[in-house]
Amino acid sequence: MSVAYREGIPALEQVHDEGGRSVGWWGMMFFIASEALIFANLIAAYLYLEIRQGGHGWRLPSEIWYPLINTVILLGSSAPIHYIAAKGIEKGSQRRLIWGLLATIVMGAIFLGGQVYEYSSLISEGFTPQSQLFGSAFFTLTGFHGLHVTVGLIFLLIVFVRALNGHFTKERHFAFQAGEMYWHFVDAVWVFVFSIVYLLPLLRG
Amino acid sequence: MATSTIVERPALVRQKRFSETYIGQWLTTTDHKKIGIMYMVTAFFFFVVGGLEALLIRTQLALPDGKVLDPQTYNEIFTMHGTTMIFLFVMPMFTGLGNYVVPLMIGARDMAFPRLNAFGYWIVLFGGLFLQSSFVFHAAPDSGWFAYAPLTECGVQGVNCIPATPSINMDFWALGVLLLGISSIAGALNFVVTIFKLRAPGMTINRMPLFVWMTLVTSFLLLFALPSLTAASGLLLLDRHLGTHFYQAAFNGDPLLWQHLFWSFGHPEVYILILPAFGIVSEVLPVFSRKPIFGYTFVAWSGVAIGFLSFTVWAHHMFAVGLPVVAQAFFATSTTLIAIPTAVKIFNWLATIYGGKLSFKTPMLFALGFVAMFLIGGLNGVALAIVPFDYQVTDSYFVIAHLHYVLFGGAVFAIFAAIFYWFPKMTGKLLNERLGQIQFWLMLIGVNVTFFPMHILGLLGMPRRIYTYAPDLGWNELNLLETVGAFIIAAAILVFLFNFVTSLRQGQPAGSDPWDAFTLEWDTASPPEPYNFKTIPVVRSRRPFYDKKNPETADWKVAVH
Ligand code: HEM
Ligand SMILES: [Cu+2]
Repeated sequence: MSVAYREGIPALEQVHDEGGRSVGWWGMMFFIASEALIFANLIAAYLYLEIRQGGHGWRLPSEIWYPLINTVILLGSSAPIHYIAAKGIEKGSQRRLIWGLLATIVMGAIFLGGQVYEYSSLISEGFTPQSQLFGSAFFTLTGFHGLHVTVGLIFLLIVFVRALNGHFTKERHFAFQAGEMYWHFVDAVWVFVFSIVYLLPLLRG
Repeated sequence: MATSTIVERPALVRQKRFSETYIGQWLTTTDHKKIGIMYMVTAFFFFVVGGLEALLIRTQLALPDGKVLDPQTYNEIFTMHGTTMIFLFVMPMFTGLGNYVVPLMIGARDMAFPRLNAFGYWIVLFGGLFLQSSFVFHAAPDSGWFAYAPLTECGVQGVNCIPATPSINMDFWALGVLLLGISSIAGALNFVVTIFKLRAPGMTINRMPLFVWMTLVTSFLLLFALPSLTAASGLLLLDRHLGTHFYQAAFNGDPLLWQHLFWSFGHPEVYILILPAFGIVSEVLPVFSRKPIFGYTFVAWSGVAIGFLSFTVWAHHMFAVGLPVVAQAFFATSTTLIAIPTAVKIFNWLATIYGGKLSFKTPMLFALGFVAMFLIGGLNGVALAIVPFDYQVTDSYFVIAHLHYVLFGGAVFAIFAAIFYWFPKMTGKLLNERLGQIQFWLMLIGVNVTFFPMHILGLLGMPRRIYTYAPDLGWNELNLLETVGAFIIAAAILVFLFNFVTSLRQGQPAGSDPWDAFTLEWDTASPPEPYNFKTIPVVRSRRPFYDKKNPETADWKVAVH
């Protein structure tokens, strides 16, 4: 495209911009869609194995309260990045961008810490990925999600540092927008994972 | 965007940067045309590798009690043959072709994400080399291209089979496939966004060339099917290295989980390998028949229908594992259903050439060869959907016959049609026509001599994936015949390579439009300038370049699209 500019030929985007979402937004959307499908496959595998094992429901040896609080924190973390940071930068406010991001990052980190704590107490009770099939499935599904939280956090941290350096403006902040999209996705997926892993067995009684 | 900020200043003597040298231009390029060519050359290289592996297989099987390969090596060779042909040849070849042609066809200057595009290419190259490097470590994957558990978990904690010690063979496979998957996802989302967002003014969805349509459907299939493979091979790696039990029956796990996950990728995958071929043929046949495609809408939407249906048929690969009868009936039905949109296309192609002014240049020959061979492969595919028949021939050479009629007779013929058709666009030179004809006939004969007898051998009970056979089973003559056929194919490929090298050097200059073609890519120089079009064309019908050349009878004057 560089050459086109050099010869004074307008790039296509300038010739006809039909409006609508940016190319980057669509790219991010399809990337997220295919990631979501990996989760869908893992969830399907989880349910398939659970049912094949007799369908009595897989129940964790631990209490549900801790993961429940953790869930509230993770879902809550979608609020500051949207209502404070995104709405802020749309009005050009750097301060709101930075504080909103920070709040979300802290909440995400708390969730991750909670997950590590949960894992270690389960493992100390002898419930491990190797101990039984349920363990394999539990740690894989929640761990894959934890991996996504971690990636999301790294993503947001990079955006945060860039925000501190004033890289984003009212008009140009796609990296931030992509980070926000990814974070919402990580949150939304957790709703499914949490329902399948923690709530479904309760329904079965 | 990789905007180089260098300003041309002839007065200044400046050191050339690496990215300005000839090699550097290729290694650092983000131009879709260069990337496309790199994809295709790489894919062809792997085609040769996979082809040599096929020749080894056929040499071993030429005579009973063959001694060329030992059983373990044979397993590695056929596994790598299938894996290479599918993941390293056909897929990158179509990605490369799409890369080159799609932006030109829709009147764009490049793909939507040029750097992501380059990233995808380099991953394919290194993923491919990584897979092949397993031979160096005497640890090539050996469980077949669909890597069935629990074979893939031999020796892993609690899974007993021979060999009893875990080997790293299948780690190469699982990691390689994960890598290649990343690249395909990157490529696919790039195509989808490019096709949705970067079309020239007037290039509505309903005016897009059919190759663009099929690339779009293929990209969606990749986006939605590859995640199953990613999940499946991820779990496999966990079983092998973390001690989880997903595929281990002894621990309540289930080897069939692998089959379900794999084939819910695997069947859409076979359409990923053939839909772009449909697209190619739908471009070539009209140009060499001097007619617009018959029933554009049907060709386009039957492709979409195939895309959807392809997600509902996966368990036809699993009839023999003891699925519930209801499930078998369901999958048999959905599989036969998918034959309908496929047959629609065949009729469209036949109607396109019917009554046309046919010119039998090499691209046309390969396209016609495609229709004939794919028809055979499609028909015996429908036969395999009949469950009782499948019980008899599954895992026999009948299946090998089927998959080679669709993959070789189908995909590979279409690829050669594409190479002969677009080579002049990419290089400005024509491939030699005489050599092209020789290659075509050699290949047509070779393919049928090699793969047709496999039907019979399958019916005679010869299982696939056996490394040798006893002399008194009545299989000797046909096996020898197949091996002869394989070497005829090899000769055809040699003719092509010779043609390629000589034409590149001293081929006849092609001009920008050697075939009097219809679509926008021919409305540029050959090869096109880096920015493709000086001014972005405005499109008013399905054959924009035809309109420009024939303003009197332009499509938009006669038809309402
Ligand atoms: C010279 C051309 C070729 C010959 C002679 C050939 C021969 C063979 C033979 C004999 C087998 C069966 C091995 C066995 O089951 O023991 C095989 C398997 C296979 N071939 Fe080819 N082949 C050729 C080209 C191709 C091409 C172009 C493709 C794909 C585009 C392909 C895809 C496959 C696949 C997927 C398998 C199954 C591998 C497996 O069982 O895991 N082949 N081939
Ligand atoms: Cu299938």
